Amino acid sequence: MKALTWPDGARCAVFVSVNFDAEVFDLRSTTEDRLFGRFSYGRYGVRAGLPRLTALLARRGIAATVFVTASDAKRHPDALRALHDAGHEIAARGMDLTPLPSLGAGERQALEACREALAKVTGTAPVGFRAPGGELSSQTLGHLAELGFNYDSSFQDDDLPYLMAPTAGTRLVQIPTVHALDDSLPFSARHTHARVFQIWREEFDALYAEGCLVPLTIHLRGDVGSTRAARIAALEELLEHMAAQPGVCFMTGAQLAAHVRAADPPAEENPITVHLPTLAVTPYRGDLSVKPL
Amino acid sequence: MRTTLPPDLRCAVTLGVDFDGTSHEVGRGIAPLGTHSWGRYSARRGIPRLMDMLSRLAVPCTFFVPGYDAERHPTLVQEIDRAGFEVAAHGYLHEAWDLPKDEESKLLHRTDDILRQLLGKPVLGWRSPSGRKTAHTMHELKAMGYLYDSSDKDYDLPYRLRFGHGADDCIVELPNNTYSLDDFPFFKFSHTPPSEVLAQWKSEFDAIYASDRFCVLVVHPRSGWGSGTPVRTRIFEDAIAYMKGHAGVRFFSSADFARWCMAHPQHLEELDVSEARAA
Repeated sequence: MKALTWPDGARCAVFVSVNFDAEVFDLRSTTEDRLFGRFSYGRYGVRAGLPRLTALLARRGIAATVFVTASDAKRHPDALRALHDAGHEIAARGMDLTPLPSLGAGERQALEACREALAKVTGTAPVGFRAPGGELSSQTLGHLAELGFNYDSSFQDDDLPYLMAPTAGTRLVQIPTVHALDDSLPFSARHTHARVFQIWREEFDALYAEGCLVPLTIHLRGDVGSTRAARIAALEELLEHMAAQPGVCFMTGAQLAAHVRAADPPAEENPITVHLPTLAVTPYRGDLSVKPL
Repeated sequence: MRTTLPPDLRCAVTLGVDFDGTSHEVGRGIAPLGTHSWGRYSARRGIPRLMDMLSRLAVPCTFFVPGYDAERHPTLVQEIDRAGFEVAAHGYLHEAWDLPKDEESKLLHRTDDILRQLLGKPVLGWRSPSGRKTAHTMHELKAMGYLYDSSDKDYDLPYRLRFGHGADDCIVELPNNTYSLDDFPFFKFSHTPPSEVLAQWKSEFDAIYASDRFCVLVVHPRSGWGSGTPVRTRIFEDAIAYMKGHAGVRFFSSADFARWCMAHPQHLEELDVSEARAA
Protein backbone atom coordinates (compact mmCIF):
# COMPACT_ATOMS: atom_id res chain seq x y z
CA MET A 1 0.00 0.00 0.00
CA LYS A 2 1.41 3.37 -1.03
CA ALA A 3 1.84 5.65 1.92
CA LEU A 4 0.04 8.95 1.90
CA THR A 5 2.25 11.99 2.48
CA TRP A 6 1.05 15.00 4.44
CA PRO A 7 0.78 18.54 3.08
CA ASP A 8 3.83 20.80 3.14
CA GLY A 9 6.13 18.05 4.27
CA ALA A 10 4.32 17.65 7.60
CA ARG A 11 5.27 14.61 9.59
CA CYS A 12 1.83 13.72 10.87
CA ALA A 13 -1.71 15.07 10.83
CA VAL A 14 -4.00 15.48 13.82
CA PHE A 15 -7.73 15.26 13.12
CA VAL A 16 -9.68 16.84 15.95
CA SER A 17 -13.20 15.49 15.65
CA VAL A 18 -16.06 16.24 18.00
CA ASN A 19 -19.14 14.07 18.38
CA PHE A 20 -21.79 16.65 19.37
CA ASP A 21 -24.20 14.01 20.80
CA ALA A 22 -26.11 16.31 23.14
CA GLU A 23 -29.79 15.71 23.99
CA VAL A 24 -30.07 13.22 21.14
CA PHE A 25 -27.91 10.86 23.19
CA ASP A 26 -30.11 11.16 26.30
CA LEU A 27 -33.20 10.70 24.16
CA ARG A 28 -32.10 7.13 23.47
CA SER A 29 -33.00 6.44 27.11
CA THR A 30 -35.82 8.87 27.87
CA THR A 31 -38.39 11.28 26.43
CA GLU A 32 -38.33 15.04 25.75
CA ASP A 33 -40.21 15.86 28.95
CA ARG A 34 -37.62 14.06 31.07
CA LEU A 35 -34.39 15.71 29.88
CA PHE A 36 -33.52 16.63 33.46
CA GLY A 37 -31.33 15.21 36.18
CA ARG A 38 -29.30 12.28 34.92
CA PHE A 39 -30.57 12.96 31.42
CA SER A 40 -29.19 16.50 31.30
CA TYR A 41 -25.53 15.63 30.65
CA GLY A 42 -26.20 16.32 26.99
CA ARG A 43 -27.45 19.81 27.75
CA TYR A 44 -24.28 20.33 29.81
CA GLY A 45 -22.30 19.65 26.66
CA VAL A 46 -23.87 22.61 24.91
CA ARG A 47 -24.30 25.02 27.84
CA ALA A 48 -21.01 24.47 29.68
CA GLY A 49 -18.85 22.29 27.47
CA LEU A 50 -19.05 23.84 24.03
CA PRO A 51 -17.93 27.36 25.09
CA ARG A 52 -14.96 25.84 26.90
CA LEU A 53 -13.97 23.67 23.95
CA THR A 54 -14.37 26.44 21.34
CA ALA A 55 -12.30 28.77 23.51
CA LEU A 56 -9.55 26.14 23.72
CA LEU A 57 -9.58 25.53 19.97
CA ALA A 58 -9.47 29.29 19.34
CA ARG A 59 -6.52 29.68 21.71
CA ARG A 60 -4.68 26.91 19.89
CA GLY A 61 -5.77 27.99 16.42
CA ILE A 62 -7.22 24.57 15.64
CA ALA A 63 -10.17 23.94 13.33
CA ALA A 64 -12.21 20.91 14.39
CA THR A 65 -14.80 18.78 12.64
CA VAL A 66 -18.08 18.56 14.53
CA PHE A 67 -20.31 15.58 13.73
CA VAL A 68 -23.87 16.44 14.64
CA THR A 69 -27.29 14.85 14.21
CA ALA A 70 -30.16 16.76 12.64
CA SER A 71 -31.96 16.32 15.94
CA ASP A 72 -29.32 18.25 17.91
CA ALA A 73 -28.88 20.75 15.05
CA LYS A 74 -32.55 21.63 15.24
CA ARG A 75 -32.22 22.25 18.98
CA HIS A 76 -28.99 24.26 18.71
CA PRO A 77 -28.87 26.08 15.36
CA ASP A 78 -27.13 29.14 16.79
CA ALA A 79 -24.36 27.09 18.34
CA LEU A 80 -23.77 25.35 15.02
CA ARG A 81 -23.75 28.59 13.10
CA ALA A 82 -21.22 29.99 15.57
CA LEU A 83 -19.01 26.91 15.12
CA HIS A 84 -19.30 27.22 11.34
CA ASP A 85 -18.50 30.95 11.45
CA ALA A 86 -15.47 30.28 13.66
CA GLY A 87 -14.03 28.05 10.92
CA HIS A 88 -14.96 24.64 12.27
CA GLU A 89 -16.42 22.05 9.95
CA ILE A 90 -19.99 20.86 10.53
CA ALA A 91 -20.41 17.25 9.42
CA ALA A 92 -23.31 14.83 9.51
CA ARG A 93 -24.20 12.13 12.00
CA GLY A 94 -27.69 11.06 10.88
CA MET A 95 -31.14 12.35 11.81
CA ASP A 96 -30.66 11.03 15.34
CA LEU A 97 -28.56 8.25 16.90
CA THR A 98 -30.70 5.38 15.59
CA PRO A 99 -28.29 2.78 14.17
CA LEU A 100 -28.44 2.99 10.39
CA PRO A 101 -28.84 -0.77 9.81
CA SER A 102 -32.21 -0.60 11.59
CA LEU A 103 -33.59 2.01 9.17
CA GLY A 104 -33.96 -0.45 6.30
CA ALA A 105 -35.44 1.13 3.19
CA GLY A 106 -35.68 4.50 4.96
CA GLU A 107 -31.91 4.83 5.40
CA ARG A 108 -31.13 6.76 2.22
CA GLN A 109 -33.90 9.24 2.85
CA ALA A 110 -32.72 9.77 6.44
CA LEU A 111 -29.16 10.45 5.26
CA GLU A 112 -30.41 12.90 2.67
CA ALA A 113 -32.72 14.64 5.15
CA CYS A 114 -29.86 14.98 7.62
CA ARG A 115 -27.68 16.56 4.97
CA GLU A 116 -30.41 19.03 4.06
CA ALA A 117 -31.15 19.87 7.69
CA LEU A 118 -27.50 20.78 8.35
CA ALA A 119 -27.24 22.73 5.07
CA LYS A 120 -30.24 24.77 6.16
CA VAL A 121 -28.62 25.66 9.48
CA THR A 122 -25.13 26.59 8.26
CA GLY A 123 -25.84 27.47 4.65
CA THR A 124 -23.33 24.83 3.50
CA ALA A 125 -24.07 21.17 2.77
CA PRO A 126 -21.90 18.89 4.94
CA VAL A 127 -19.32 16.79 3.08
CA GLY A 128 -18.47 14.45 5.93
CA PHE A 129 -20.31 11.74 7.79
CA ARG A 130 -19.84 9.64 10.91
CA ALA A 131 -22.35 6.89 11.66
CA PRO A 132 -24.16 6.80 15.01
CA GLY A 133 -22.50 4.11 17.10
CA GLY A 134 -20.21 3.45 14.14
CA GLU A 135 -22.92 1.14 12.74
CA LEU A 136 -23.22 0.97 8.95
CA SER A 137 -25.58 -1.07 6.82
CA SER A 138 -24.27 -2.77 3.70
CA GLN A 139 -25.83 0.14 1.74
CA THR A 140 -24.53 3.10 3.76
CA LEU A 141 -21.26 3.74 1.90
CA GLY A 142 -23.07 3.67 -1.45
CA HIS A 143 -25.77 6.05 -0.22
CA LEU A 144 -23.19 8.48 1.14
CA ALA A 145 -21.22 8.60 -2.10
CA GLU A 146 -24.33 8.96 -4.23
CA LEU A 147 -25.78 11.70 -2.01
CA GLY A 148 -22.66 13.82 -2.48
CA PHE A 149 -20.78 13.14 0.72
CA ASN A 150 -17.04 13.36 0.28
CA TYR A 151 -15.94 11.19 3.16
CA ASP A 152 -17.00 8.86 5.95
CA SER A 153 -15.22 8.67 9.29
CA SER A 154 -16.70 5.59 10.94
CA PHE A 155 -14.16 2.83 10.30
CA GLN A 156 -11.27 1.67 12.51
CA ASP A 157 -9.20 -0.17 9.97
CA ASP A 158 -6.15 1.90 9.03
CA ASP A 159 -3.51 4.40 10.13
CA LEU A 160 -4.18 6.68 7.18
CA PRO A 161 -7.21 7.92 5.26
CA TYR A 162 -7.84 6.10 1.98
CA LEU A 163 -10.12 6.11 -1.03
CA MET A 164 -12.86 3.59 -1.67
CA ALA A 165 -15.36 3.00 -4.47
CA PRO A 166 -18.64 2.14 -2.75
CA THR A 167 -20.45 1.61 -6.07
CA ALA A 168 -19.31 1.61 -9.68
CA GLY A 169 -18.08 5.08 -10.56
CA THR A 170 -18.49 6.60 -7.08
CA ARG A 171 -15.72 7.57 -4.68
CA LEU A 172 -15.68 8.09 -0.94
CA VAL A 173 -12.71 8.86 1.30
CA GLN A 174 -12.49 6.87 4.53
CA ILE A 175 -10.96 8.68 7.50
CA PRO A 176 -10.50 5.90 10.05
CA THR A 177 -10.72 6.52 13.78
CA VAL A 178 -9.37 4.43 16.62
CA HIS A 179 -11.06 3.47 19.88
CA ALA A 180 -7.92 4.23 21.89
CA LEU A 181 -8.38 7.91 20.99
CA ASP A 182 -12.11 8.13 21.78
CA ASP A 183 -12.75 9.76 25.16
CA SER A 184 -16.22 8.31 25.70
CA LEU A 185 -15.06 4.73 26.27
CA PRO A 186 -12.65 5.22 29.18
CA PHE A 187 -14.83 7.96 30.70
CA SER A 188 -17.83 5.67 30.43
CA ALA A 189 -15.76 3.13 32.41
CA ARG A 190 -15.15 5.93 34.97
CA HIS A 191 -11.43 6.30 34.44
CA THR A 192 -9.63 9.43 35.56
CA HIS A 193 -8.75 12.13 33.05
CA ALA A 194 -5.11 11.70 34.02
CA ARG A 195 -5.25 8.11 32.85
CA VAL A 196 -7.18 8.91 29.67
CA PHE A 197 -4.81 11.64 28.56
CA GLN A 198 -1.80 9.54 29.47
CA ILE A 199 -3.12 6.92 27.02
CA TRP A 200 -3.64 9.60 24.39
CA ARG A 201 -0.17 10.98 24.84
CA GLU A 202 1.42 7.56 24.49
CA GLU A 203 -0.74 6.83 21.45
CA PHE A 204 0.14 10.18 19.88
CA ASP A 205 3.89 9.81 20.40
CA ALA A 206 3.94 6.49 18.55
CA LEU A 207 1.58 7.63 15.76
CA TYR A 208 3.72 10.74 15.30
CA ALA A 209 6.89 8.67 15.10
CA GLU A 210 5.38 6.64 12.26
CA GLY A 211 3.75 9.57 10.42
CA CYS A 212 0.21 8.30 10.92
CA LEU A 213 -3.08 10.12 11.15
CA VAL A 214 -3.95 11.01 14.75
CA PRO A 215 -7.76 10.89 14.88
CA LEU A 216 -9.06 12.30 18.17
CA THR A 217 -12.72 11.71 18.97
CA ILE A 218 -13.94 14.15 21.60
CA HIS A 219 -17.41 14.29 23.09
CA LEU A 220 -19.02 17.43 24.48
CA ARG A 221 -21.12 15.74 27.13
CA GLY A 222 -20.65 16.27 30.85
CA ASP A 223 -20.50 12.54 31.56
CA VAL A 224 -18.41 10.75 28.92
CA GLY A 225 -17.04 13.86 27.22
CA SER A 226 -13.91 15.97 27.66
CA THR A 227 -15.35 19.42 28.32
CA ARG A 228 -15.41 19.60 32.10
CA ALA A 229 -12.84 22.09 33.39
CA ALA A 230 -10.24 19.56 34.48
CA ARG A 231 -10.61 17.52 31.32
CA ILE A 232 -10.33 20.57 29.09
CA ALA A 233 -7.15 21.51 30.93
CA ALA A 234 -5.74 18.01 30.35
CA LEU A 235 -6.82 18.12 26.72
CA GLU A 236 -5.14 21.48 26.27
CA GLU A 237 -1.92 20.13 27.72
CA LEU A 238 -2.05 17.28 25.23
CA LEU A 239 -2.78 19.55 22.26
CA GLU A 240 0.10 21.74 23.39
CA HIS A 241 2.39 18.70 23.47
CA MET A 242 1.29 17.73 19.96
CA ALA A 243 1.72 21.21 18.53
CA ALA A 244 5.19 21.41 20.06
CA GLN A 245 6.49 18.52 17.92
CA PRO A 246 8.06 19.52 14.62
CA GLY A 247 5.89 18.87 11.58
CA VAL A 248 2.51 18.36 13.19
CA CYS A 249 -0.40 19.75 11.20
CA PHE A 250 -4.02 19.92 12.29
CA MET A 251 -6.53 19.06 9.56
CA THR A 252 -10.31 18.90 9.42
CA GLY A 253 -12.10 15.95 7.86
CA ALA A 254 -12.92 18.00 4.77
CA GLN A 255 -9.25 18.97 4.37
CA LEU A 256 -8.13 15.37 4.82
CA ALA A 257 -10.66 14.15 2.26
CA ALA A 258 -9.61 16.80 -0.25
CA HIS A 259 -5.96 15.90 0.35
CA VAL A 260 -6.59 12.19 -0.31
CA ARG A 261 -8.57 12.95 -3.46
CA ALA A 262 -5.83 15.25 -4.76
CA ALA A 263 -3.32 12.41 -4.31
CA ASP A 264 -5.61 10.37 -6.58
CA PRO A 265 -4.83 6.91 -5.20
CA PRO A 266 -6.48 3.82 -6.68
CA ALA A 267 -9.91 3.33 -5.09
CA GLU A 268 -10.46 0.18 -3.07
CA GLU A 269 -13.45 -2.04 -3.64
CA ASN A 270 -16.43 -1.61 -1.31
CA PRO A 271 -15.25 -3.46 1.81
CA ILE A 272 -18.53 -5.35 2.17
CA THR A 273 -18.46 -6.98 -1.28
CA VAL A 274 -16.05 -9.80 -0.51
CA HIS A 275 -18.00 -10.80 2.61
CA LEU A 276 -21.54 -10.80 1.20
CA PRO A 277 -21.67 -14.49 0.24
CA THR A 278 -20.57 -15.61 3.72
CA LEU A 279 -22.77 -13.09 5.53
CA ALA A 280 -25.76 -14.32 3.52
CA VAL A 281 -25.45 -17.79 5.04
CA THR A 282 -24.21 -16.84 8.52
CA PRO A 283 -26.76 -16.28 11.27
CA TYR A 284 -26.49 -13.19 13.42
CA ARG A 285 -25.03 -14.30 16.73
CA GLY A 286 -25.01 -10.94 18.43
CA ASP A 287 -22.47 -9.88 20.94
CA LEU A 288 -20.47 -12.92 21.98
CA SER A 289 -17.67 -10.93 23.46
CA VAL A 290 -16.27 -11.86 26.82
CA LYS A 291 -17.66 -9.73 29.63
CA PRO A 292 -16.32 -9.07 33.11
CA LEU A 293 -18.00 -11.08 35.86
CA MET B 1 5.19 -35.68 38.33
CA ARG B 2 5.29 -31.96 37.72
CA THR B 3 6.81 -30.61 34.52
CA THR B 4 10.30 -29.31 35.25
CA LEU B 5 12.44 -27.67 32.62
CA PRO B 6 16.05 -28.87 32.77
CA PRO B 7 18.66 -26.46 34.12
CA ASP B 8 20.13 -25.90 30.65
CA LEU B 9 16.81 -24.44 29.53
CA ARG B 10 16.72 -21.49 31.87
CA CYS B 11 13.48 -20.07 30.48
CA ALA B 12 11.36 -20.78 27.39
CA VAL B 13 9.17 -18.16 25.72
CA THR B 14 6.64 -18.70 22.94
CA LEU B 15 5.12 -15.62 21.32
CA GLY B 16 1.78 -15.74 19.55
CA VAL B 17 -0.11 -13.44 17.21
CA ASP B 18 -3.76 -14.40 16.78
CA PHE B 19 -4.61 -12.99 13.31
CA ASP B 20 -8.31 -12.32 14.07
CA GLY B 21 -9.19 -10.45 10.92
CA THR B 22 -12.71 -9.94 9.61
CA SER B 23 -13.51 -13.58 10.43
CA HIS B 24 -14.18 -12.42 13.96
CA GLU B 25 -17.15 -10.27 12.94
CA VAL B 26 -18.32 -12.14 9.83
CA GLY B 27 -18.57 -15.37 11.84
CA ARG B 28 -21.03 -13.64 14.13
CA GLY B 29 -23.09 -12.43 11.17
CA ILE B 30 -21.81 -8.86 11.58
CA ALA B 31 -20.72 -6.82 8.54
CA PRO B 32 -17.10 -5.72 9.11
CA LEU B 33 -17.92 -2.05 8.53
CA GLY B 34 -17.63 1.04 10.70
CA THR B 35 -16.93 0.21 14.31
CA HIS B 36 -16.89 -3.46 13.31
CA SER B 37 -14.04 -2.91 10.83
CA TRP B 38 -11.28 -3.51 13.40
CA GLY B 39 -10.46 -6.87 11.86
CA ARG B 40 -9.58 -5.18 8.58
CA TYR B 41 -6.73 -3.50 10.42
CA SER B 42 -5.03 -6.88 10.95
CA ALA B 43 -4.16 -7.46 7.31
CA ARG B 44 -3.81 -3.80 6.32
CA ARG B 45 -1.50 -2.67 9.12
CA GLY B 46 -1.22 -4.90 12.16
CA ILE B 47 0.31 -8.04 10.67
CA PRO B 48 2.90 -6.18 8.56
CA ARG B 49 3.90 -3.97 11.51
CA LEU B 50 4.20 -6.91 13.91
CA MET B 51 6.16 -8.94 11.35
CA ASP B 52 8.57 -6.07 10.80
CA MET B 53 9.13 -5.72 14.52
CA LEU B 54 9.56 -9.46 15.16
CA SER B 55 11.96 -9.77 12.22
CA ARG B 56 13.98 -6.84 13.53
CA LEU B 57 14.26 -8.54 16.92
CA ALA B 58 14.94 -11.88 15.22
CA VAL B 59 12.61 -13.80 17.51
CA PRO B 60 10.39 -16.68 16.39
CA CYS B 61 6.63 -16.29 16.65
CA THR B 62 3.56 -18.32 15.80
CA PHE B 63 0.70 -16.69 13.89
CA PHE B 64 -2.61 -18.41 14.60
CA VAL B 65 -4.79 -17.77 11.56
CA PRO B 66 -8.53 -18.40 11.07
CA GLY B 67 -9.22 -20.18 7.77
CA TYR B 68 -11.55 -17.44 6.54
CA ASP B 69 -8.86 -14.80 7.02
CA ALA B 70 -6.34 -16.97 5.17
CA GLU B 71 -8.79 -17.20 2.24
CA ARG B 72 -9.15 -13.41 2.17
CA HIS B 73 -5.38 -12.78 2.50
CA PRO B 74 -3.53 -15.74 1.00
CA THR B 75 -0.45 -13.74 -0.02
CA LEU B 76 -0.03 -12.22 3.40
CA VAL B 77 -0.28 -15.61 5.08
CA GLN B 78 2.36 -16.93 2.67
CA GLU B 79 4.55 -13.96 3.54
CA ILE B 80 4.27 -14.79 7.24
CA ASP B 81 5.54 -18.27 6.44
CA ARG B 82 8.26 -17.04 4.08
CA ALA B 83 9.50 -14.62 6.74
CA GLY B 84 10.26 -17.69 8.85
CA PHE B 85 7.34 -17.53 11.27
CA GLU B 86 5.07 -20.43 12.05
CA VAL B 87 1.49 -20.38 10.76
CA ALA B 88 -0.95 -22.39 12.86
CA ALA B 89 -4.72 -22.86 12.90
CA HIS B 90 -7.24 -20.72 14.76
CA GLY B 91 -10.75 -21.80 13.73
CA TYR B 92 -12.46 -21.04 10.42
CA LEU B 93 -14.72 -18.08 11.23
CA HIS B 94 -13.17 -17.60 14.69
CA GLU B 95 -15.99 -19.71 16.13
CA ALA B 96 -16.71 -18.29 19.57
CA TRP B 97 -19.63 -20.58 20.23
CA ASP B 98 -20.14 -24.25 21.02
CA LEU B 99 -20.00 -26.45 17.94
CA PRO B 100 -21.65 -29.85 17.51
CA LYS B 101 -19.03 -32.57 17.10
CA ASP B 102 -19.52 -33.05 13.35
CA GLU B 103 -19.41 -29.33 12.71
CA GLU B 104 -16.27 -28.97 14.80
CA SER B 105 -14.50 -31.73 12.84
CA LYS B 106 -15.59 -30.24 9.54
CA LEU B 107 -14.29 -26.77 10.44
CA LEU B 108 -10.99 -28.03 11.86
CA HIS B 109 -10.37 -29.90 8.61
CA ARG B 110 -11.53 -27.01 6.47
CA THR B 111 -9.03 -24.60 8.00
CA ASP B 112 -6.31 -27.23 7.97
CA ASP B 113 -6.89 -27.78 4.23
CA ILE B 114 -6.80 -24.05 3.51
CA LEU B 115 -3.57 -23.42 5.42
CA ARG B 116 -1.82 -26.59 4.25
CA GLN B 117 -2.56 -25.87 0.59
CA LEU B 118 -1.53 -22.27 0.97
CA LEU B 119 1.77 -23.10 2.67
CA GLY B 120 2.52 -26.38 0.95
CA LYS B 121 3.37 -28.00 4.25
CA PRO B 122 1.59 -29.49 7.24
CA VAL B 123 0.05 -27.35 9.96
CA LEU B 124 1.35 -28.41 13.37
CA GLY B 125 -0.71 -26.58 15.95
CA TRP B 126 -4.00 -25.04 16.91
CA ARG B 127 -5.25 -22.46 19.32
CA SER B 128 -8.96 -22.30 19.98
CA PRO B 129 -10.63 -19.08 18.91
CA SER B 130 -12.24 -17.74 22.13
CA GLY B 131 -10.84 -20.69 24.11
CA ARG B 132 -13.69 -23.14 23.52
CA LYS B 133 -12.57 -26.74 23.21
CA THR B 134 -14.11 -30.15 23.84
CA ALA B 135 -12.98 -33.64 24.79
CA HIS B 136 -13.26 -34.42 21.08
CA THR B 137 -10.93 -31.68 19.88
CA MET B 138 -7.64 -33.38 20.78
CA HIS B 139 -8.62 -36.53 18.86
CA GLU B 140 -9.27 -34.51 15.75
CA LEU B 141 -6.08 -32.43 16.07
CA LYS B 142 -4.00 -35.54 16.52
CA ALA B 143 -5.70 -37.26 13.59
CA MET B 144 -4.69 -34.29 11.42
CA GLY B 145 -1.08 -34.71 12.54
CA TYR B 146 -0.92 -31.73 14.88
CA LEU B 147 1.80 -31.76 17.51
CA TYR B 148 0.25 -29.35 19.96
CA ASP B 149 -2.72 -27.42 21.21
CA SER B 150 -2.33 -24.03 22.90
CA SER B 151 -5.76 -23.34 24.38
CA ASP B 152 -6.01 -24.77 27.88
CA LYS B 153 -5.77 -22.46 30.87
CA ASP B 154 -5.19 -25.03 33.58
CA TYR B 155 -1.45 -24.85 34.16
CA ASP B 156 1.67 -22.68 33.96
CA LEU B 157 3.84 -25.25 32.22
CA PRO B 158 3.72 -27.39 29.10
CA TYR B 159 2.45 -30.91 29.61
CA ARG B 160 1.40 -34.04 27.76
CA LEU B 161 -2.35 -34.19 27.39
CA ARG B 162 -3.45 -37.83 27.26
CA PHE B 163 -6.88 -38.22 25.70
CA GLY B 164 -6.97 -42.00 25.07
CA HIS B 165 -5.32 -45.27 26.03
CA GLY B 166 -3.37 -45.78 22.81
CA ALA B 167 0.36 -45.09 22.74
CA ASP B 168 -0.14 -42.08 20.46
CA ASP B 169 -3.27 -40.75 22.14
CA CYS B 170 -1.60 -37.69 23.54
CA ILE B 171 -0.71 -34.23 22.36
CA VAL B 172 1.50 -31.49 23.73
CA GLU B 173 -0.43 -28.79 25.56
CA LEU B 174 1.06 -25.27 25.74
CA PRO B 175 -1.35 -23.52 28.12
CA ASN B 176 -1.99 -19.79 27.79
CA ASN B 177 -3.69 -17.18 29.93
CA THR B 178 -5.98 -14.59 28.39
CA TYR B 179 -6.38 -12.52 31.55
CA SER B 180 -2.86 -11.22 31.82
CA LEU B 181 -0.47 -12.67 29.22
CA ASP B 182 -2.64 -11.28 26.44
CA ASP B 183 -3.39 -7.77 25.16
CA PHE B 184 -7.15 -7.75 24.86
CA PRO B 185 -8.11 -7.66 28.57
CA PHE B 186 -6.20 -4.42 29.02
CA PHE B 187 -7.30 -2.71 25.84
CA LYS B 188 -10.87 -3.96 25.82
CA PHE B 189 -11.85 -3.86 29.47
CA SER B 190 -9.51 -1.88 31.66
CA HIS B 191 -8.37 0.93 29.33
CA THR B 192 -4.87 0.47 30.68
CA PRO B 193 -2.21 2.85 29.31
CA PRO B 194 0.28 0.98 27.10
CA SER B 195 3.15 1.82 29.44
CA GLU B 196 1.25 0.17 32.28
CA VAL B 197 0.53 -2.92 30.18
CA LEU B 198 4.26 -3.16 29.53
CA ALA B 199 4.93 -2.93 33.27
CA GLN B 200 2.36 -5.67 33.85
CA TRP B 201 3.97 -7.99 31.32
CA LYS B 202 7.43 -7.33 32.75
CA SER B 203 6.11 -8.15 36.20
CA GLU B 204 4.49 -11.34 34.89
CA PHE B 205 7.74 -12.30 33.25
CA ASP B 206 9.80 -11.58 36.38
CA ALA B 207 7.62 -13.97 38.36
CA ILE B 208 7.75 -16.61 35.65
CA TYR B 209 11.51 -16.29 35.24
CA ALA B 210 11.85 -16.86 38.98
CA SER B 211 9.55 -19.90 39.08
CA ASP B 212 8.05 -21.93 36.22
CA ARG B 213 10.32 -20.50 33.50
CA PHE B 214 7.76 -20.88 30.72
CA CYS B 215 5.99 -17.90 29.18
CA VAL B 216 3.29 -17.77 26.48
CA LEU B 217 2.52 -14.18 25.47
CA VAL B 218 -0.25 -13.53 22.94
CA VAL B 219 -1.28 -10.39 21.07
CA HIS B 220 -3.75 -9.56 18.31
CA PRO B 221 -2.95 -7.43 15.24
CA ARG B 222 -6.35 -5.75 15.00
CA SER B 223 -7.32 -2.24 15.97
CA GLY B 224 -9.66 -1.77 18.95
CA TRP B 225 -8.44 -4.27 21.51
CA GLY B 226 -5.43 -5.46 19.56
CA SER B 227 -1.75 -4.57 19.38
CA GLY B 228 -1.17 -3.88 15.69
CA THR B 229 -1.20 -0.11 16.21
CA PRO B 230 2.08 1.80 16.67
CA VAL B 231 2.26 2.25 20.45
CA ARG B 232 0.99 -1.22 21.24
CA THR B 233 3.41 -2.90 18.86
CA ARG B 234 6.07 -0.81 20.57
CA ILE B 235 5.27 -2.13 24.05
CA PHE B 236 5.09 -5.71 22.73
CA GLU B 237 8.56 -5.06 21.33
CA ASP B 238 9.72 -3.61 24.66
CA ALA B 239 8.36 -6.65 26.52
CA ILE B 240 10.25 -8.99 24.17
CA ALA B 241 13.42 -6.94 24.53
CA TYR B 242 13.03 -7.10 28.31
CA MET B 243 12.78 -10.90 28.18
CA LYS B 244 15.76 -11.10 25.84
CA GLY B 245 17.75 -9.15 28.38
CA HIS B 246 17.49 -12.01 30.88
CA ALA B 247 20.18 -14.68 30.90
CA GLY B 248 19.28 -17.99 29.34
CA VAL B 249 15.92 -17.02 27.83
CA ARG B 250 15.19 -18.96 24.65
CA PHE B 251 12.42 -18.07 22.24
CA PHE B 252 10.67 -20.88 20.38
CA SER B 253 7.91 -21.07 17.84
CA SER B 254 5.08 -23.08 19.36
CA ALA B 255 5.82 -25.97 16.99
CA ASP B 256 9.51 -25.97 17.85
CA PHE B 257 8.72 -25.94 21.52
CA ALA B 258 6.23 -28.78 21.05
CA ARG B 259 9.06 -30.70 19.34
CA TRP B 260 11.32 -29.92 22.27
CA CYS B 261 8.64 -31.27 24.61
CA MET B 262 8.32 -34.43 22.55
CA ALA B 263 12.09 -34.90 22.61
CA HIS B 264 12.19 -34.49 26.40
CA PRO B 265 9.31 -36.67 27.64
CA GLN B 266 11.05 -37.26 30.96
CA HIS B 267 10.59 -33.59 31.83
CA LEU B 268 6.91 -33.42 31.00
CA GLU B 269 3.98 -34.06 33.24
CA GLU B 270 1.16 -36.10 31.76
CA LEU B 271 -2.48 -35.18 32.37
CA ASP B 272 -4.88 -38.01 31.61
CA VAL B 273 -8.28 -36.80 30.42
CA SER B 274 -9.13 -40.00 28.55
CA GLU B 275 -12.21 -40.55 30.69
CA ALA B 276 -13.64 -37.23 29.57
CA ARG B 277 -15.98 -37.98 26.71
CA ALA B 278 -17.15 -35.81 23.89
CA ALA B 279 -20.88 -35.07 24.02
